[in-house]
Amino acid sequence: MSIPTAAAAEPVIRVAGLHKAYGETRAVDGVSFEVQAGTIFGLLGPNGAGKTTTVEVLEGLREPDRGEVRVLGVDAVRDPDRLKPRIGVSLQTAALYPKLTVVEVLDLFRGFYHLGGRSTDELISLMDLGEKRTTRTQNLSGGQRQRLSVALALVNDPELVFLDEPTTGMDPAARRALWDVVLGLRSAGRTVLLTTHYLEEAEVLCDRVAIMDHGHILEEGTVEELVSRRFKERAVRFDTIDGLPEERLARMPGVASVKHEDGDTLLYTRDVAGTIGAVLDAAEGLGVEPANLGVRRATLEDVFLDLTGRALRD
Amino acid sequence: MRPLLLLTVANIKSFTRDRAALFWTLAFPLIFVLLFGSIFTGGSSERSIGFADLDGTPASGQLKGAFAALWNLKIVDGTEDELLASMKKGDVVAVIIVPEGYSQTVAAKAGPANLTVYTDPSQSGADATTRQLVGFVLSAVNQAVAGVPPAVEPSFKPIQTNDLTFISYLVPSILGMSLMQVGIFASVPLVADRQKLILKRLQATPLRRWQLVGSNVLMRLLIAIVQTAIIVGVGSALYHVQVAGSWLLIGGLILLGSLAFIALGYVIASFAKTEDAANGMTSVVQFPLMFLSGTFFPIDAMPDALKTVARALPLTYLGDGLRQVMVDGTPFSPLWVCFAVLAVWLVACFGIAARFFKWQ
Ligand SMILES: Nc1ncnc2c1ncn2[C@@H]1O[C@H](COP(=O)(O)OP(=O)(O)O)[C@@H](O)[C@H]1O
Ligand SMILES: [Mg+2]
Repeated sequence: MSIPTAAAAEPVIRVAGLHKAYGETRAVDGVSFEVQAGTIFGLLGPNGAGKTTTVEVLEGLREPDRGEVRVLGVDAVRDPDRLKPRIGVSLQTAALYPKLTVVEVLDLFRGFYHLGGRSTDELISLMDLGEKRTTRTQNLSGGQRQRLSVALALVNDPELVFLDEPTTGMDPAARRALWDVVLGLRSAGRTVLLTTHYLEEAEVLCDRVAIMDHGHILEEGTVEELVSRRFKERAVRFDTIDGLPEERLARMPGVASVKHEDGDTLLYTRDVAGTIGAVLDAAEGLGVEPANLGVRRATLEDVFLDLTGRALRD
Repeated sequence: MRPLLLLTVANIKSFTRDRAALFWTLAFPLIFVLLFGSIFTGGSSERSIGFADLDGTPASGQLKGAFAALWNLKIVDGTEDELLASMKKGDVVAVIIVPEGYSQTVAAKAGPANLTVYTDPSQSGADATTRQLVGFVLSAVNQAVAGVPPAVEPSFKPIQTNDLTFISYLVPSILGMSLMQVGIFASVPLVADRQKLILKRLQATPLRRWQLVGSNVLMRLLIAIVQTAIIVGVGSALYHVQVAGSWLLIGGLILLGSLAFIALGYVIASFAKTEDAANGMTSVVQFPLMFLSGTFFPIDAMPDALKTVARALPLTYLGDGLRQVMVDGTPFSPLWVCFAVLAVWLVACFGIAARFFKWQ
């Protein structure tokens, strides 16, 4: 799976055969991947896929049942203390001292690392928390807490940043601002591993993504690769028409596969014009008009749907 | 050290901003001291001594005069039985019986006349004072009878032990109880921090566990010092309670006791999953400690089964040790036993917590 051109440099993260079970639940069931320096890597998957478990093993916070985990050249399982000064972590649930203010929490965490890193003021302006400087964290909104949590992950200006669902609870403007911060980290040569269940987030940010479900990585690669590997076709979509049988749809010109999602019908086709014509004919035969008829390129969403048979956002 | 100190400061800030926690930790012992102080110091601070004069001669009258001339001392007359009854009620602290034939024995110089003095050794302060007083008066009488002029004449001044009352015993008891609470209630913020994933987040930084535990202990010790200052300060300001023994020993007991109870708090935190559970479990642990450790009820008055329990509890030994050092109280155990038992509790709790405490 390693990329020949990058083979000389050791990857920043190398996970091989990672397993972690909680009783009967196999949270992570044989996960392997690599992350190269200076890239943004996305772990994508629905709730319960095993993303958090995987990330927290890499952060040295959970012990796996087995598997090899090297992060920044360090064995993250046996030697987490050597790793900690060099990484930044934002947990899925922002963990903050409720009675301390934004500035106090940042100053406290800065104090855990050797001098250097980023100044509190710099982080506050980076994460746009200026108005909340002296607000106790218990009085922050969900999005603000999340931003503070990301700021805390950056206090030591780490080589590698882990962001577990960093944009959950953020409004669209804040989300876009965070995307800029993450892209800025890459420009500065840092490596980022983020988890998300927002596909467009992965499409915008990630150099490579791994799609996870039920503790497995189903597919891994660049967004382009994942889409084109599966879909030479484009998708014709319309509101599902009752009485239009699956077999009939599958037999339409150019159609490679048929999916249903939330009341939509998706036809992946190599012959867009022919497919649309056939849909219109069929609808006319039933005496209806296809609603919201449209065409789009396949996206990660389609990849996910194709891989798992369900939409990512339930 | 820097991370440890920063974390300690952060903990103190969190603590002082939590009004309820602040109130209970600082006001609670204060309320206890004031409450018990007002109960047990009610009435005059005059010391009363019963005096049963079975001789009834001028010589015995003189003896009575010698006692009455002493500072702050009120002489209560009565029969032996009456006076012993009122001593049991606490109306008089001691009873002196002058036997029949006292004056003859003295006048004939026919050997020492025998005074009977009842004191209560469990009220060791009062006991000691009475012994002093009696010894003092009798040596003066002996000198006078022997016709030797006194080489040294004391001037009569109140000694501090004079003001010793039941509150003197309560101050170290309440101090011990407060230290116990400060220690075991370490469990609650600890479990809260774990529940809020703060401990997990800290684990992702270079902060070491010993620094985390160290800051926790440091903060608790600071609270313990503040509480000691409040309790001893109020005791001495309002009730003139004096600290008799060495502050070094007191400090040693406070340190060891606090550490043992903090470790017990960690044990509780090892088994409590939520903040509420920690609160509940800590309260459940605190009550038997409070009531079976001789703080409010003397252990000797307990049924045998409870006595056995009391002898195993750490607060029994912290309270006993503090009472011994602070008021020279009657020991329940020698002081080294107090230290040893607390050390055993510390080591045992530390071991259990090290085995079962989870950071996530
Ligand atoms: N500490 C835990 N104890 C028990 N089960 C857990 C624990 N952590 C995760 N799991 C289970 O493991 C699975 C994967 O969880 P997680 O890694 O949090 O997934 P994701 O982050 O993708 O939502 C879920 O079924 C979850 O319930
Ligand atoms: Mg998760």
